[in-house]
Amino acid sequence: MSFSTFVTDKTGLQKLYEAIISKHETYAPVEKFGKYDYKKVSSLKECDPDSPIAMTMSVKPLFFPRASKIMKYEANSSGTTIMETDEDPLAGKRVVLGVKHCDARGLQVLEAVNKWDYIDSDFLKRRANTVIFSTRCDKADTHCFCTSLDYDLEKLDALDVAVVNGSDGKIYLQARTGKGDIFLKENSGQSTMYDVQNTMDDVRSTKYEEDMKKQYIAFTGSFRLKMDYKDVNEKMAKRFDSPAFEEASRNCVSCNTCAFICPTCHCFKISDEKIKDTGVRYKSYDSCNNVYFTLEAGGHNPRPAKFRRWRQRSMHKFVYYKERFGVNLCVGCGHCAISCPVNISIFDVVNHVANSPASS
Amino acid sequence: MDYSKQIQDIAAKLFADGKIDVFVGYRMNGFDDNQIPVVITDPKEVAELVFTEKSVFNLTNYLKADHTRGKRVGLVVKGCDSRSLNLLLTESQVKREKLYIIGIACEGVVDDKGQKMQNCVECIVPDAVVYDEMLGTPKGIRDYIVNADIIELAGKGLVERREYFEQIFENCIRCNACRHSCPLCYCAKCCIDQETATIYNGSNTSSSAFHALMTWSLHLAGRCVDCRNCEKACPSHLPLHLLHKQNEKVIYDNFQNHLAGVEEGDRGAFYKYSLKDPDDFIL
Amino acid sequence: MEEVKEKIVSIEKPDLIAPPDWKPVIVGILCNWCSYAGSDLTGTSRTQYPPNIRIIRVPCSSRVDPWFIIKALQTTADGVLISGCHPGDCHYISGNYYARRRFLVTRELLKMVGFHEHRVQFSWVSAAEGSKFAQVVKKVTEDVIKLGPLHLYKKENFSK
Repeated sequence: MSFSTFVTDKTGLQKLYEAIISKHETYAPVEKFGKYDYKKVSSLKECDPDSPIAMTMSVKPLFFPRASKIMKYEANSSGTTIMETDEDPLAGKRVVLGVKHCDARGLQVLEAVNKWDYIDSDFLKRRANTVIFSTRCDKADTHCFCTSLDYDLEKLDALDVAVVNGSDGKIYLQARTGKGDIFLKENSGQSTMYDVQNTMDDVRSTKYEEDMKKQYIAFTGSFRLKMDYKDVNEKMAKRFDSPAFEEASRNCVSCNTCAFICPTCHCFKISDEKIKDTGVRYKSYDSCNNVYFTLEAGGHNPRPAKFRRWRQRSMHKFVYYKERFGVNLCVGCGHCAISCPVNISIFDVVNHVANSPASS
Repeated sequence: MDYSKQIQDIAAKLFADGKIDVFVGYRMNGFDDNQIPVVITDPKEVAELVFTEKSVFNLTNYLKADHTRGKRVGLVVKGCDSRSLNLLLTESQVKREKLYIIGIACEGVVDDKGQKMQNCVECIVPDAVVYDEMLGTPKGIRDYIVNADIIELAGKGLVERREYFEQIFENCIRCNACRHSCPLCYCAKCCIDQETATIYNGSNTSSSAFHALMTWSLHLAGRCVDCRNCEKACPSHLPLHLLHKQNEKVIYDNFQNHLAGVEEGDRGAFYKYSLKDPDDFIL
Repeated sequence: MEEVKEKIVSIEKPDLIAPPDWKPVIVGILCNWCSYAGSDLTGTSRTQYPPNIRIIRVPCSSRVDPWFIIKALQTTADGVLISGCHPGDCHYISGNYYARRRFLVTRELLKMVGFHEHRVQFSWVSAAEGSKFAQVVKKVTEDVIKLGPLHLYKKENFSK
């Protein structure tokens, strides 16, 4: 099924963004202290939809917040009343600009676990109500390896509208889902953009296809890191007892940053905050790399050693999630390596394990 | 400043003589010219060790129980690193006889972009203060330099400072990377991490970050050595040194020019007192 | 005659105006042997002092972790008062010497971060200084009234 593609130029794109920001609730990368995080914006000047890959944090908190209220409760002599919390501020119709396509893929990968034994309606509602604009990367960054995973990067169906830089200063707006298609058509009047199907004759249309192909080849050729994920899936499943986990994770400081930054990590903890007899229950991020992640109420901790936590983390991403849901829990964005104080990448860990001798 | 060969030789000899189980040093990260820590158990890996002005991370972080508990460790320390090591020794977190310390007379390190780090420009104690072996020529302790950012902040008004720090606290994502990469944050269970409902700070607002960062810097006051491990680890690039340097300045000016970890047996500024400490602000 | 009251604004956030019936909440952390006994004396002497202070008793002023001050400011407190024995008179000999170091550093850090210096105040009040305690509480309460309500970094369930 093909969706519409519009062509415009740099000025046209800016006009479109400005129109979207003024008409819809829009989130975009906003810079603070050199890092870009997704915040609600009221003008294009506040943000940069073309923020650099390495400096842009994940869009995951807009769908799975770093901390969210689940409920309020009040206890008195007659019992405890549970009150629903306020309306979800993230559930309205929104547009997010400048999402990297690996990041958007992370949301798609998370859908599987959110539709599993417990349907997380909050996450799914936020996903359904959001239109994602993604600027397609022209080349890879140092730690990227999205091409090595199970994501069709020519199809790019995890996002709604792909913004692709063509040659001669042309910018293509390609709808990738029905939602994106409708959105583009509704907003096409806001700016100078022309539907490719309607405006291009045969010659120019072939040039467009060639352009896209050339760009895609240049993009895939720019990667430093490449691996065969099927090979990794298979080999890791047989190497649970391998000492390679200990070797690869020795200089980790268990700081939790990788899990907080990762577009696919979804571990959380539930905690109460109270004063006297009223309280609020929160769901907030947690990291399986934390020393106390598996600490039980009785005091026993099944994973006290660092290599066990790393083993669980990498096996979850490349073996368990894959076996259960058919997709790797990693999108190859490289943010773990960028943010890690000692530059450990999940790529290095899983490849080190996969290439180690099989355990008997 | 290049001591790579010397360190490789020393580490090889330590392994050969059976004096250590583990060596903690630096190696190239494998994708650009920056360095990352490496924890070596196999003597064959000694050839990877390097030490130049790109050797930034404070390695004493690996002396915490989670990483090298009970093992005999050889490690490389610069001036600031050795001061945090001194504090760890005094606070009984490591045993001196289990360590072989290579001290460096440091000339300053550079960040990822090649610029000399601010704490090196303002460095007061460049030479290692505790060591078994010293590489380089010691230069001695320098005069105290007040952090440039603190001076700038002191010139701003109350509302301006409040607005600036609100930005910082709003951008903290409470990942706690700062605490975990700080060598002196070794508490088995951090006081603010208690899940007790009256203490827990679950909301992701600046209140939670204010609580965490302020408590953390006040618990580190008088012990922080300005190694910048915390800033390097922070995924939001927060300027955490502002809090620590402010405490350091107040302590230096008011408590007999105390600097954390310089003297042997030092336990930080809050573990001693003087009858001359100022208290004219007290009613 | 209608009294025209001047609007009180929160000094750290001048766009926040205090509601007309706002009364400050002062959290007082008093050491058991001197300051708490002193406040007891104030009471038995029937000396009036503002009722806005809520007192927490600790064994010694050195028990006060800077964390307590942060937590108080984060919850209901508009101002904090910490009081201990005079230097040299500490029941535990040297507790207040350690405490005054912590007090200075905490105060300066809070000032830098954007709190007015009168939000957190300290005093030495001995068990015989009933009238001094009343004066101190009066001073702190008046200072905090001028500063307005504290609205910085309050925990979500505590913002007014």
